[in-house]
Amino acid sequence: MSSLFSVAMLAETLRISAPYACAAVGGVWAERAGIVQIGLEGVLLSGAFAAVAVAVASGSMALGLAAGVALGVGVSMLHATLVEKTRIDAVVSGIALNLLAFSATRLALRALYDSASNSPSIAGFRFGPTGTSGTDMLLRTLLDPVTVIAVLAIAASPFVFAETRFGLRVRAVGENPTAARAAGINVSRTRLAALAVSGAMTALGGVHLAFDQHRFESGMSGGRGFIALAAVVLSGWRPARAAVLCLAFGWLEAVQLRLQDVSRGSSLATLTQLLPYVATLLVLALGLGRRAAPAGLGRHAE
Amino acid sequence: MSAVAARLARSLTPPRVRVLFAIAGALLLLNLLSWAFGAAPLETLAEAYSGTWGTGYGIGQVLFKSTTLLFTGLAFVVALRVGLFNIGAEGQLGLASLGVAVLGSRLPANMPALVAIPLMLACAIAIGAGYAGLAGVLRARLGVHEIISGIMLNRVVDVVLPWLLVAVLGAVSLRTANIAPAASLMKLSAVVNSLAGSAASIAFPLAVVVVFATFAWLERSRVGREFAWVGKSPSVCTAQGIDVPKRRVQAMLLSGALAGLVATGTVLGYEGAFELGLGAGAGFSGIAVAMLGRTSPAALIFSALVFGTLAQAGLAINALVPREAMGVLEAVVILLVGAVAIAAEPETPLTEPVAPKVSAP
Amino acid sequence: MNQAAEHVRPEGSRGSGPRLALALATRLFEDRVAVSSLSITLEPGRIHALVGENGAGKSTALKMLAGVLAPSSGGVLVDGEPLAPHAQAALDRKIGLVYQHFMLVDVFTALDNIMLGAEPVRRGRLDRATARARAGAIATEAGLEVRLDSSVSELSVGEKQRLEIVRVLFRGARAVLLDEPTAVLAPLEVAELYGTLRRLAAGGATIVVVTHRLDEVVRFADEVTVMRRGSKVHHESLSEDSRSGEEASVLLERLTRAVMGDEPMHTLTPRPLALVAAPLLELVGLSVDNAGSVDNAGGVDNAGGVDGASGAADGSDPSTRKQASTPKRRPAIVDVSLAVAAGEIVGVAGIEGNGQTELVRALAGLVPLAAGMVRVNGDVLFTPELAETTAVRVTRARARGLVTVHEDRHAEELVLDATVRDNLVLGELAQLADEGATQARRLSRFAIEPANPAFLARQLSGGNQQKLVVARALDRGATVLVLAQPTRGVDIGTARVIHQAITDAAASGAAVLIVSADLNELRTLAHRIVVLRQGSIVGELPPSATDEELGRAMLGSRKLPNSELANSATPKSDVRLGNSP
Repeated sequence: MSSLFSVAMLAETLRISAPYACAAVGGVWAERAGIVQIGLEGVLLSGAFAAVAVAVASGSMALGLAAGVALGVGVSMLHATLVEKTRIDAVVSGIALNLLAFSATRLALRALYDSASNSPSIAGFRFGPTGTSGTDMLLRTLLDPVTVIAVLAIAASPFVFAETRFGLRVRAVGENPTAARAAGINVSRTRLAALAVSGAMTALGGVHLAFDQHRFESGMSGGRGFIALAAVVLSGWRPARAAVLCLAFGWLEAVQLRLQDVSRGSSLATLTQLLPYVATLLVLALGLGRRAAPAGLGRHAE
Repeated sequence: MSAVAARLARSLTPPRVRVLFAIAGALLLLNLLSWAFGAAPLETLAEAYSGTWGTGYGIGQVLFKSTTLLFTGLAFVVALRVGLFNIGAEGQLGLASLGVAVLGSRLPANMPALVAIPLMLACAIAIGAGYAGLAGVLRARLGVHEIISGIMLNRVVDVVLPWLLVAVLGAVSLRTANIAPAASLMKLSAVVNSLAGSAASIAFPLAVVVVFATFAWLERSRVGREFAWVGKSPSVCTAQGIDVPKRRVQAMLLSGALAGLVATGTVLGYEGAFELGLGAGAGFSGIAVAMLGRTSPAALIFSALVFGTLAQAGLAINALVPREAMGVLEAVVILLVGAVAIAAEPETPLTEPVAPKVSAP
Repeated sequence: MNQAAEHVRPEGSRGSGPRLALALATRLFEDRVAVSSLSITLEPGRIHALVGENGAGKSTALKMLAGVLAPSSGGVLVDGEPLAPHAQAALDRKIGLVYQHFMLVDVFTALDNIMLGAEPVRRGRLDRATARARAGAIATEAGLEVRLDSSVSELSVGEKQRLEIVRVLFRGARAVLLDEPTAVLAPLEVAELYGTLRRLAAGGATIVVVTHRLDEVVRFADEVTVMRRGSKVHHESLSEDSRSGEEASVLLERLTRAVMGDEPMHTLTPRPLALVAAPLLELVGLSVDNAGSVDNAGGVDNAGGVDGASGAADGSDPSTRKQASTPKRRPAIVDVSLAVAAGEIVGVAGIEGNGQTELVRALAGLVPLAAGMVRVNGDVLFTPELAETTAVRVTRARARGLVTVHEDRHAEELVLDATVRDNLVLGELAQLADEGATQARRLSRFAIEPANPAFLARQLSGGNQQKLVVARALDRGATVLVLAQPTRGVDIGTARVIHQAITDAAASGAAVLIVSADLNELRTLAHRIVVLRQGSIVGELPPSATDEELGRAMLGSRKLPNSELANSATPKSDVRLGNSP
């Protein structure tokens, strides 16, 4: 059992958690601004795809990173625009964007690489030692530029919410859009800006995922956006807690990978996949740590 | 630009006209995509037509796809009446389909169809309703939002279905054994010869009847009317003596039952077994169907046919344009319908309260 | 963005406020004319009152002046120059509006609310120290006491209003426009509010108050404009001499006639004498916890998740959404015993938030009892021992002939997006034999206008909505009537009709309990008035009691300073409709 708490496990947990945490904090940004975002999955996929496509075309990982984040911002702002300007229901828009991202990336795989399932492989960022010891793995993870940016962005989020003008206004439009507008704040513009941040954060997770796998695979987000959403709710819409919850989910997944190694295909290993979902349902059902959602979530200024 | 579009949309308020907008947009996009993939746009269109409404087989396939969408669309409409988003239909129909197939495959060989089929329907209804009822109870009694629980319950089914098939049922190819012949539904081609070879079964007319009956019940019955009130203002209904949690659970049960009935078209009417992925995606497409057609039974049927056509057309043009194009198309149609539908609402001045709050401060 | 910067006077918040004017301003809502060709000029340094019946257009006029509603035709002039119709443009021109329904973010502190939209920033961070210093100085100067570091959800109604005023001053407003600011205040608080407004006016600010209370106008305003059906029908300047004595009553009479127009003055038929009869409604040692404590089974939204995510599909009024966590858990009702006999009308007075809402909600079955019991006609209706869902309690209360009218029409009485026809029989489908006849009878009872049952409740004016609610309640053959604010938001004419109907109900044997913020209403209707303070009955007075006597009971015997006044009203902030624990 000690292997479940080793340095290698720590590295593995960090690596696995990064996309979850990015998407969860991205979700917090969207929902604290009052926009329901169940399209995190789509943003993850878009970010991952754009990063790989540009990295393949240009050979530059940095350009890929930028492109991934940019497309994530684009998709996220499209969501915000649809919700704010055309007043389409946010849940419907989120579902449609998930479908759009899933289909469009598959279509693009066909168009660009004539493949139904994956892109050519890319190098990804390679920093740090190449060894296989736990310490080496941990160092590699900690030196990964995408991880570093993600950690910095996640760490900055609580501060930005609490201590900056932008954060205050985002929370205001999320809690009471009508009052925010009466205070002279442009609700739509603030929400669009928050969704841009949300898209960038989430797409960063997608980029991490793609660079970590060294290629894009169809549907590679694999429900991470939904687990992130669970973390958003469980955290009570608080970024730091959401990130910590994602670490826990990442650890669970790392454990599960170990179990699969030990006893391939066992029922137990499959059922551990259920843990995040069942845990979320249980925690919500028992009312543990439940906290009210932003009061203006899903509401427009009147 | 959006202002012009909105004004244009407003001049075409009747709901049916909105649909034309969405279809026109979808056709335009399809042309663009086929052009991008090097196919002649008209060729793609012609292929799409002949693969759907152009032949008896195509029509049958559209009806088959629409059957599923009618049930999931209606399921969404029913939950929406009480103000709930049943996005868990995906999981409900998956679980119900598996259950129906397993039960169907274990029926005694000599059981008559008159017993077997109602038993199958009851099983589909019970499993669908049960799983949706879980989300309903979580919402109504424990305050867990149905969107979150729906997503989680869907994911649970995603994980559990393959495990059940392999580890519990011992299936080799992620497929159950075949159901007893008595439990299968008659193909429509047995009545209308020109539909020969298609997957359409009498589940389609069954779905149409269910749609009309459900709408009539929602409009006329006491419970149906209270559903609508609960959806519009739960707090008022509570104060006026309507049991809001009960109505919500009831609506989710009904919604899940309808989602479960998807198994009639897929398991009983077509495949004769459950295979992983059968009916998958219909739960989400049903939301689109409902968005477009929630106002009346006729609108819902039309809407289901539109999306059924899209789905079938995707297969028909696969040689020219990858069928994923249809997924893109469907997403765009959903967004167009959603956007146009709202833009066509009467304009309210930007600075004016939409719903003045006169409640005591 | 700040093109209006040139209008900013160098002396900052000092000096004369702007002269505001409407020039032939007309405002339509759909086809309805709310304000028609109205021209008024409001000079700085004075308190202007805009009065009129419900629907007279006074609030619409005020909102046009504040730039939040654009005139359909005509113009708004600020110091002679046209005002662009945006909230921001008005703020730039030093005009601040205090809404009737406060525009505050409940989870923010008072300070964060004050600076929202005009946040001082230093090196990228919010500069709360500077904001606190400025807000404190403004509050002190205007004589407004606000706890800057408390969350808004902990503030009393009066404190929230002071916060709103500090906020508009913080934004540099030199014209302060207030929409029905006194509707929820106790008499003492009203006087304090006008004291503040007087100080501001003396400092040169332009003050505009919309109110329907004419006595306030007589006591505090410098100028009054009376509106009726969207037009100005009367305007006069008031002098100090006219505030008291004979002159005051003449003035009050004149204003009343201007407000009422040609409508004949009604007088209420003498109320029936209380018979010596067995009590129909008995409250025995009743205690009620604040609503947040129990009962998840309540029908009201109690989702911890993305509530409201269903957006338009979820028709619940946003105002019913309350915070889940409350800082304090003080019981809302403490050991209240009261008996109301057949034919008797008992009034309940108290400063808003002293347990009235909970009392009514508990009697309706919406919240469970913590202790004590409620009896109707001698039989137990509620005790705390029974673990029942909200629905079970509400249904039993209704079945036993206890009929309630709640104060929050939109949250508890009307499904706004359902038809008038449906609303007339809400929750009674199972009991009604002839739905159509019932609807026709209730529709005509108070002449609901328009008398079209296919209209949505939302399309009715506030007064007609209230008529619908009261008609429905009075038609249900009540044994016990519990009415909260039965005529709030209703014009004087309709209020009289409703008063008559209530009196008739009592005369025909119902026990009636009326909660009202309008002391005159209580005096008109009730045989006796009990006063609630901090959830307990602290006194019982005859209907002949004066405002001052009632006010003293409502506030406690000694005169409380501001902060304690605020505290005495805090239970309100703890009162949450059906939320999650």
